[in-house]
Amino acid sequence: MISVQGLTKLYGDFTAVRSISFDVGVGEVLGLVGPNGAGKTTTLRSLAGIIAPSQGTVAIAGHDIQRDSIEAKRQLAFIPDEPHLFEYLTVEEHLRFIARLYGVADVEERVPVLLAELELTEKRRSMPGELSRGMRQKLAIACGLLHSPSVLILDEPLTGLDPGGMRRMRETIAARATAGAAVILSSHLLNLVEELCTKLLVLRRGECVAYGSVDEIIAMHPDLAGRSLEDMFLSLTGDPDPAR
Amino acid sequence: MSAFFYLVWSSGRNRFLSSVRRVRSPRYAAALIVGVLYLWGFLFRPTTSGAVTSIFVGPPTETVVTLLLVVTLMGSWVFGSDMTALAFTQAELSFLFPAPLSRRALIRYKLFRAQIVVLINALIWVFVLRRGGGPLPSMLRAISLWALFSTLNLHRLGAALVRSSWREHGKTGARRHRWSIAAFGIVGVSVIVNLIAHRVAIQSASGVGQFFTTLAHVLSSAPASWALLPFHAIIAPTFATSVPEWAREMLPAVAMLAAHAVWVLRTDAAFEDAAIEASAERARRLEAMRTRRTIAATAAPRAVKAPAALAVAGPPAFAIFWKNILCLRRTAQLRLLLGPLLMAIAFGAAFSTDGADTAAIISRSAAIFAGLLVVFGGRLIRNDLRQDMQHLPLLKSLPIAPGDLMLAEVASAALPMAALQMLLLIIAYVASLLWVDVPLTAGVRMGILIAAPFAVVALNGALLTIQNGIAVLFPAWIRLGPAVTTGVEALGQNVLATVANLFSLGVALIIPALVGITAVSAMDTPGVSSFALAIIVAAAILGAETYGAMRLLGRAFAKAEPGSTG
Repeated sequence: MISVQGLTKLYGDFTAVRSISFDVGVGEVLGLVGPNGAGKTTTLRSLAGIIAPSQGTVAIAGHDIQRDSIEAKRQLAFIPDEPHLFEYLTVEEHLRFIARLYGVADVEERVPVLLAELELTEKRRSMPGELSRGMRQKLAIACGLLHSPSVLILDEPLTGLDPGGMRRMRETIAARATAGAAVILSSHLLNLVEELCTKLLVLRRGECVAYGSVDEIIAMHPDLAGRSLEDMFLSLTGDPDPAR
Repeated sequence: MSAFFYLVWSSGRNRFLSSVRRVRSPRYAAALIVGVLYLWGFLFRPTTSGAVTSIFVGPPTETVVTLLLVVTLMGSWVFGSDMTALAFTQAELSFLFPAPLSRRALIRYKLFRAQIVVLINALIWVFVLRRGGGPLPSMLRAISLWALFSTLNLHRLGAALVRSSWREHGKTGARRHRWSIAAFGIVGVSVIVNLIAHRVAIQSASGVGQFFTTLAHVLSSAPASWALLPFHAIIAPTFATSVPEWAREMLPAVAMLAAHAVWVLRTDAAFEDAAIEASAERARRLEAMRTRRTIAATAAPRAVKAPAALAVAGPPAFAIFWKNILCLRRTAQLRLLLGPLLMAIAFGAAFSTDGADTAAIISRSAAIFAGLLVVFGGRLIRNDLRQDMQHLPLLKSLPIAPGDLMLAEVASAALPMAALQMLLLIIAYVASLLWVDVPLTAGVRMGILIAAPFAVVALNGALLTIQNGIAVLFPAWIRLGPAVTTGVEALGQNVLATVANLFSLGVALIIPALVGITAVSAMDTPGVSSFALAIIVAAAILGAETYGAMRLLGRAFAKAEPGSTG
């Protein structure tokens, strides 16, 4: 579903991401973790076609994100940590707008279900300015899920959600993966990563320091055996104090 | 104030350095060279002619400018100027509003910050007026303009505060500001009384120059002359032609500036007093208003119903167009059309002298208004990429071809503007049917009407492509978002930008104009239909050029990255 080969992104002299490669198959959930500034958002934006890789290739469902960008983007949904909403469209209009862009034929059936799932039914005629931070995040998630993407890219998906919203979001991600979507999620919430992800990609200063399932990573780093995911993360990223 | 000074100084320095660093990019370097050449040609190039001064500086101009000033300031009372006069950035809201600062301190910060715009525009106008070779030293002219723009800025801020107070405190607020309201009422009534009393003299003036001279004469008699005295005092030093005259005029101007400063601060105090006196419910509403950042730049979109439901099937680019039309319907500020409308009426009346009938004035005003919208329209509506570039990550993740996106974005602003211009031209045509001594034959008028849709679509498309292109190519150097820089104190910047846009349009029009002229010349007996056809052909060529430019800009958009907008 997602195939990344030698992805590198340079900003002038600065290397944000250096030659990373990985694959995410049908029903897999890849957790992208790393300290602040490790290159997670740059990687996700490269996958979503928002920024162009300096080197390397990204294929989404067999379509190169640069050469065949429209077909590739039709297959994916990118949900950023900060919801980008149009302040002059209502909740329902956002969904209709996205439906037209992605050619969602059964929008009349999908919209009520999605609004109910994300508890936005009563707010369907509200403008984003009238929504709380969590509601705005839910709307961004609804926009991402509307066209049933086969590839789901989530950057800190639980930001701004209340505990109930977090639980439902975890269930939604798991359900989409079970239905066959390939999911990449970036998060600092290691319990979320541990619960949902089938494999991990650990970044440090733009480089991949570990990739694979937890068992595969332990096999490559035997000293990590028996440690919690948090300890593994701190050990791999070489940051003894994550608060710093 | 030291923290505010630090904030303004550091922000300005960092912004400048960041912009300078962009010049490492060949695209920005080329733009810098073009920009420097443009500024040199427009502002700094030495001239020997005194024509500018002789045309624009003199008693009739001074009176007409005074009148324009009154109308502009009245506009900020009638239509409100809260959006720009009280605008705070998101960062300012986040840091300054929760900080232990009084509202008065925030307003002082706004005044301090506004001085940057005031000083830049004062300098621009010094250079513009210097080209006329006037006798007043540039430094003195600069001081006059600084005082003028500072007073105008204070006035707009005061008007915004008063209106804000009205909204919050209803009749109580209105009572507190009864003197401000009464003063403007007296000015408006006085001017109208003079215009009505001397309407025959104005209508019988022959020619544009005579019209404005008569208008100046009419307004120089009581009661308008008395009512306009404070406004005249503000602009008089700018029009001074000698140092002694300047020194004489400057004293009342400074007094007006000081009076405005006191008024704004007193208005603020009244606002706070009203809040204290108000009931507990009012106090809670005030707090809620502060929390909701009502004082900020962004007004809530109006809840206007969508003109039509968006069909599920069809080209994806149409969804962008539909979204932007909704944006226009919900966020458009009709008050921005007031300036061009008043200019159109003034010039329509000025050209319709010698006792011309009302139909002539309406026809000319409508046609002039349509023309002015071609010139200023792109600055008035921004429901296109200039706003959407703020959502660059979202736009780039959508499955839509960049060229199609550009087309939809430009069409979102160009087509509504073209529709408005066509409506005005139809009004002009219908009025011309009732016009007794209409100078154009029926055939010529019909020819213009037939060719007009092609021309206005092509012209608006080209101009808005230029402006959207700047947003795509140089996002770090321009203001993105819905805000339109308004106010007389920002006029210099707006004039520079408008002239640059028109110059670019002129370059784009070279080939279409040559082809159109050649086509007409090639005809044995060119008639009205030939000219109409030539305009349509020229519009088609301009449209083709614009379409090609959009495709190229689409490629640039495909390469644009979120970091490039900051």
